[in-house]
Amino acid sequence: MFAAAAFPILPALIITPLITVAVLMLIPANRNSELKLAALVGTTITGMMSIWMLYAFEIADDGFQFAVNRVWLEELGLSWNLGVDGISLFLVVLTGILFPIAITATEPHHDPKQYYIWLTLLMSGSMGVFIALDLLLFFLFFEIVLVPMYFLIGGWGHGNRIHAALKFFLYTMAGSALMLVGIVSVAFLSQDATGGLTFDVVQLAEAQALSQTAQRLVFGSFALAFAVKVPLFPLHTWLPDAHTEAPTAGSVILAGVMLKLGTYGYLRFGIYLFPQAAHDLAWIFLTLGVIGIVYGAAVATMQRDLKRLVAYSSVAHLGFIALGMFVLNTQGIQGAVFQMVNHGISTGALFILVGWVYERRHTREIAALGGLQKSAPIMAGVFTLVMLSSIGLPGLNGFVGEFLILLGGFQGARWWTVIAVTGVILAALYLLWAYQRVFHGTPTEENASMPDLRLSEGLAILPLLVLIVFLGVYPKPMLERIEPAVERLVVHVEANVDGFEEPGPEQLPAEPATADDLTHTLEEAEAEAEAKEEAESLGGEG
Amino acid sequence: MGVQQNVAQIPVDLGSAQPRAVAFAPVSDFLREYIVVGLFGALAFGLVAAFIGLASIFRPDRPTADKVENYESGVDPVGSGWSQSQIRYYIFALLFVMFDVEAVFIFPWAARLEDLGVFGLVEMVIFIFILALGLAYAWRKGVLRWV
Amino acid sequence: MSGTFVTLVAAEIERPSIDWHAIAPELILLGGGALVTVIDLIWLERVRKLIPTLTSLVFLVALIPVITLWADGSGLPRGLWIIDENVPATGVWEGAFVVDNYSLVLKGLFLLSAYVIVLLSTNYMSEGDYYDSEYYQLIAASVLGMLVMSSSRDLISIFVALELVSIPAYLMAAWRKRDLKSNEAGLKYMLMGVFASAILLYGMSLLYGIAGSTLLSDIAAAIDIGESRPVITLGIVFTIIGFGFKVSAVPFHTWAPDTYEGAPTPLTAFLAVASKAAGFVALINVVIVALPTQANVVEPFIWVLAAITMTVGNLIALRQTNLVRMLAYSGVAQAGYMLAPLAVYDGISDRATSAVVTYLVIYAAMNLGAFAVVIIAARKTRSAELSSYGGMFNYAPGLTLAMTIFLFSLAGIPPVGGWWAKFEVFRVLTEGNRTSGIALAVIAAVNSVIAAFYYLNIAKQMWFLPSPDGDNSRIAIPPALLAAVGLTVAATIVSGVLPGVVSDMTDFVNVAAGQ
Repeated sequence: MFAAAAFPILPALIITPLITVAVLMLIPANRNSELKLAALVGTTITGMMSIWMLYAFEIADDGFQFAVNRVWLEELGLSWNLGVDGISLFLVVLTGILFPIAITATEPHHDPKQYYIWLTLLMSGSMGVFIALDLLLFFLFFEIVLVPMYFLIGGWGHGNRIHAALKFFLYTMAGSALMLVGIVSVAFLSQDATGGLTFDVVQLAEAQALSQTAQRLVFGSFALAFAVKVPLFPLHTWLPDAHTEAPTAGSVILAGVMLKLGTYGYLRFGIYLFPQAAHDLAWIFLTLGVIGIVYGAAVATMQRDLKRLVAYSSVAHLGFIALGMFVLNTQGIQGAVFQMVNHGISTGALFILVGWVYERRHTREIAALGGLQKSAPIMAGVFTLVMLSSIGLPGLNGFVGEFLILLGGFQGARWWTVIAVTGVILAALYLLWAYQRVFHGTPTEENASMPDLRLSEGLAILPLLVLIVFLGVYPKPMLERIEPAVERLVVHVEANVDGFEEPGPEQLPAEPATADDLTHTLEEAEAEAEAKEEAESLGGEG
Repeated sequence: MGVQQNVAQIPVDLGSAQPRAVAFAPVSDFLREYIVVGLFGALAFGLVAAFIGLASIFRPDRPTADKVENYESGVDPVGSGWSQSQIRYYIFALLFVMFDVEAVFIFPWAARLEDLGVFGLVEMVIFIFILALGLAYAWRKGVLRWV
Repeated sequence: MSGTFVTLVAAEIERPSIDWHAIAPELILLGGGALVTVIDLIWLERVRKLIPTLTSLVFLVALIPVITLWADGSGLPRGLWIIDENVPATGVWEGAFVVDNYSLVLKGLFLLSAYVIVLLSTNYMSEGDYYDSEYYQLIAASVLGMLVMSSSRDLISIFVALELVSIPAYLMAAWRKRDLKSNEAGLKYMLMGVFASAILLYGMSLLYGIAGSTLLSDIAAAIDIGESRPVITLGIVFTIIGFGFKVSAVPFHTWAPDTYEGAPTPLTAFLAVASKAAGFVALINVVIVALPTQANVVEPFIWVLAAITMTVGNLIALRQTNLVRMLAYSGVAQAGYMLAPLAVYDGISDRATSAVVTYLVIYAAMNLGAFAVVIIAARKTRSAELSSYGGMFNYAPGLTLAMTIFLFSLAGIPPVGGWWAKFEVFRVLTEGNRTSGIALAVIAAVNSVIAAFYYLNIAKQMWFLPSPDGDNSRIAIPPALLAAVGLTVAATIVSGVLPGVVSDMTDFVNVAAGQ
């Protein structure tokens, strides 16, 4: 905090990518490697800064840290109000890590200058979404990120890219247009309670000035925007198209960062601002989340296209996160936040791997692939690790998140959780089956000659693999930073919802899953598997 | 508003001798404001329809060849109805009408010349200058040339 | 106020001292326009090339007193005939012509728009076989009408100003006189315009009949009777319908697409931006100043107009394949957004006015910019068909970027200007916490998504699709058009990133009370 007070780290997270954009603009369009280098350096510096925040973050502090508040438009109470707490911290870091990796892992096929400019712009906007504490500022960033993503999908995607880009844009915009009405309404309706017009999230949340009906309506307008972004079940149809047609880096960012805009939005602006409405309507989101889990998994099983399969797996994973959030207890929400990061890491890695397979084989048809284990053993090993993380194998990061969500879920929303558990099994089914079809068997001629991972590629994905194992084995540093903020949120909900008490472990021991306990159990049980996995992944780089 | 509130306040009693209140009560404020506009429109169309309709019912209808001919000041029309006339007539007529009408503005000033004094004079000079500019324009651009 | 004529004749004429500063913009424009005509008449062809430059200079010079008035006014309304600011004026024209911050912002808007229009027209007019200098003189006349309109608080001066705006525009719409479409444009525009004027006059005559005065503030006082009367409602409805034609609100919009398509493109920009803004100014003046007590009549009518206008405009725009027609219908839809604040003006008339003017200012920047790009592109492609924009990024990346900025701004995507305009509208709609306002906000929100579809469609053509004939030669952009694009891009970006710049200017106080 001491250093943080001196250096405005949060504005720097937004501005550094923008400076990078300016630098990129100055580089001639044909200097491919210089462009990539500049983009990489810019995003890496941003990433480093976000990681430095992990170190500087005060663990015990449940409020917003590194806060910056500059008045932007006085008459509206509009300000550059930035800050992070335990909920947003790791999403910022995730953004900081995924962008350099996405840039390293793949190359655009044409117009590299434009491509890198859009990517770095996207980074700036994504950072802004996660650190904005002013509703309107949040909305601005929420909308801004659409533009670069639209161009990335439309410009560098595959096949039906233009249609996918348009669909992505319109779906999101349809949600957010209503959200703008909601944002303005909540500010005006709270005007008296907050003593003047303000869009400051904290003030609005503390004021709780809306009547029940108004709260439900405004929450509905927010929830719709986020439901599109997450995406929750009936609004998810843009996702398979966008993910499948997007270029690899686009898919990574879409899955890793942009889907989190929705789930993060629910926590920061849905539940926090409208606890009563969120509590009353929680059953809708629990139901949609569970439908998403089962439906996403079922549809993923049927896919013939490997990338589409991964896309549908996102629907299922995000369903888990929705479930965790709307149980409205500490474990559930903590698990949801954890799972947001996990999903970013493992699905991001899956998309990178699928992208590499596509680069080599020019197809993503599962039927056309097969036996890749023979020709590309290292890639197969990496794929295995990532896939197991995605399935939620104990000892890897995916397990911790899903476990916490289910634990929280059983306390607050038992029957929904019972159905959700089947999703875990289904996940194993579709991923393992896909793995079997793609990597096992005897390779056909083309598949037999597929080159294995290059060193540079291995290095690019290495950080993600390390995180998968590290967070699986030792989630404590992360959980202990998330926990205070989540607890504060839950207390806020308890205080503002009549007759609501955090669904807790009545028959379970008092603190079933603090970071320590969980880590402890996992460490013992899975130490062996870890060692093996790690050896495999690290061996892959050699 | 006052009137409508009164209407709304009349107790609606289906059995009583106040059928008007019953008829008006269900109409919202919004519609009531615009009933008159609708009535007005209906009246306008209705009148036109009535006049034309009545006329077509009552007028005798015995067409002859002479009757359907165009009326041309009592002279038999010769040739087609479309004929070119000199565009110059049109331009001159237009210029004439314009300056003629503008002259109307000069009369009141002339009638109050002394009261208005220098102020009025300046105003009128500006006015006539702009008028003259128009004439100068027509002249300089060759509009006034007959051949 | 009744019997003004008798008063005029019988009483000793009081010669007021004129506040020359207050009417300096109009005087400069009048004198400048006359000067341009004189210069044209003396030297004819020899100064043909100079006329556009001279005209644009006149606009810029007229802007100077607008700025000094702004700096000097500190929000104080100035009447034309005020003898002493502390003593209420007594002249016949008292209160008919008001210079306050509201009218000054609009005057600035009109002059700057006109400046950009001249930049857009310069090459277009000199390269075609058109009358050249007359065109600029007519623009100056039309803009003079707009300036007068900004300050008019009297039915007669509003009407005169409106006709002064419109009549030159009728002529200019048919300027490409060898093109049948242009003839159609001019004729349709004139017939519908005259029809609208007739309806407007009828409505105004009813209002005058009730109030016995043409002064808006007198009308407001006369109809403040705590109830609505049929004749007042009729007067209001006809007046609003008359303005509805001018601002191309559905269902009075039918002239707009044909006229926009057939007219010379720079003039289309003029009609879509400046002329429409003038119509809105007239509407605001009448509604806010004269009808503050008749909100229960005005609001539902404008509500319906706004909702239909934005929805129908957007839905028809979806189907257009010609970019100019698409922009025409998008302009119709945007007029719906601009009408929206007037559907909830009761009690917050200053805010509603601010929102409409903010929208007008930002809309002017982004729409003029879009037309500038259309004009530049047509120099190469000779077409405004949507498909002819294919692959533009390959041969004109800067232009494509500029157009994208305008399109995203029109769609309301931050950080470029349009979002702020939309936000201001939403803000007014939700401020009163009235169901009607919030419902309209929701309709507007849904519409902005429909609109995004066709705006993105244009962006898609330019960025992702190949050029239709494979011709990727560069476009030569003349300096005037380049300046126009530069100005509008800058204005669009600044108004979005620093909305305070716009909101400081459009933060009006007590528009209705301007005396």
